[in-house]
Amino acid sequence: MNQHDPIVGRYVYVQCEGKTYRTYYEEHGEGIPLVCLHTAGTDGRQYRHQLCDPDITQNYRVIAFDMPWHGKSLPPSDFYLLEDEYKLTTRFYSEFIVAFCRALELKKPVIMGQSMGGNVCLSLALKYESEFSALIALEACDYSPGWWIDALHHPHVHGGEVVASSTFGLMSPESPEEYRWETWWYYAQGGPGVFKGDLYFYSVDSDYRDQVSKISGRLPIYFLTGTYDFACTPEMTERTAEKVKNSECVIFSGGHFPTSEDPVKFKEVITPVLKKIVSADPERRSSGAPSLNGGRTETRLGGRQEQRAPDGRRVITL
Amino acid sequence: MSKYGSKRSFDLEWVERWARTVNDDRILPVVGRFFTAKFVLGVDDTQYLVDVQNGKILRIAEGLAPNDMGYDFGLKAPSSAWAKFSQQIPPPMFNDIWAMAHPLHKQLIIEGNTLKFWQNLRALTRMLSLMRNVYNSSARDVA
Repeated sequence: MNQHDPIVGRYVYVQCEGKTYRTYYEEHGEGIPLVCLHTAGTDGRQYRHQLCDPDITQNYRVIAFDMPWHGKSLPPSDFYLLEDEYKLTTRFYSEFIVAFCRALELKKPVIMGQSMGGNVCLSLALKYESEFSALIALEACDYSPGWWIDALHHPHVHGGEVVASSTFGLMSPESPEEYRWETWWYYAQGGPGVFKGDLYFYSVDSDYRDQVSKISGRLPIYFLTGTYDFACTPEMTERTAEKVKNSECVIFSGGHFPTSEDPVKFKEVITPVLKKIVSADPERRSSGAPSLNGGRTETRLGGRQEQRAPDGRRVITL
Repeated sequence: MSKYGSKRSFDLEWVERWARTVNDDRILPVVGRFFTAKFVLGVDDTQYLVDVQNGKILRIAEGLAPNDMGYDFGLKAPSSAWAKFSQQIPPPMFNDIWAMAHPLHKQLIIEGNTLKFWQNLRALTRMLSLMRNVYNSSARDVA
């Protein structure tokens, strides 16, 4: 008997900064729109486990799209005429996310992004807070330097292998080998210069250190970072979260690509967050009862410590 | 002993055990088919020259000599950092050479022709990760 994932993929045409982008996205589920942002140089496949998890999809319409230049989304049609190398900017990235959500006519979606997709949540909170109902920033901080380097796009270096190998150590050695190498493979499949161009955003154009304290706090922001993340360390996330009003910070045993490197562990740490967002949803859009704990895996937050800081911000160490 | 293991010395005998482990590996001849380079493994003040050809280690030497005609790149770190790196479950920030060398952490210096380093990163990562297997065999020997 044939076995299929329940994921459905489609293309939508998104207008952004005067150009039209044929954009690929995958989705499954009903309820609160949960738009998932992939990491630098990869694509929406990083969310394949969450897209297939009935405990998530019974309450959320999970949507993962490929940014232009990534996965099955194309670069702009005149990319070969560009007079500068590909560089993702805060402005384009933020505007594209908003334009994508509008193209799908999503009402107050939740955004969940990791790495660069986590960092951009800070820009979304600063400029587009009324568009969303919550932000989940995985492996995110207000400044992540050191990655915009030429070795990652150089004619004498195999782009796929160097990009994938340079990010391999961001994962926890205790994450399942199979999923770590699957994540390596995603990285190895990126287009030439795309990872490096994304890192222009990640390490250069997303320095929000002077801006994050201006986030109003009207939009809840959940920060979650793994202990093995050497690009955005737990301390970097904690320092950022301390400055962001109405935020929570969870540090867990894991790495930089939690959705793909260890989906079971990720489910443990994200379940309480998703449950909280369902209960706080002003539109009550969930399609079923909020039973996020009742699925294939039990949450085991061993050694979990929760502290409440004087400003009301909660910090959780797992 | 913690789950991260314990510190050990990195003398020439240890480096030899690691090199033999590398040469027994069945994946490196595939992913390291074009990995031909001489690099220095720096441990505190000691420099081990590692001569690699097609993913196999041909020769190791303690210290450098004029007839080596130099080397391509060096990976230099304190023994305390290598001790963490080579544990079976390395602690955060020490599980990977790029993690250790990243400007945020600076636990390891990559010097020399870094182009050669990046060109061979996949094979080199595999090669160095086999230090964790040296730990395993010596632990069994002790037991």
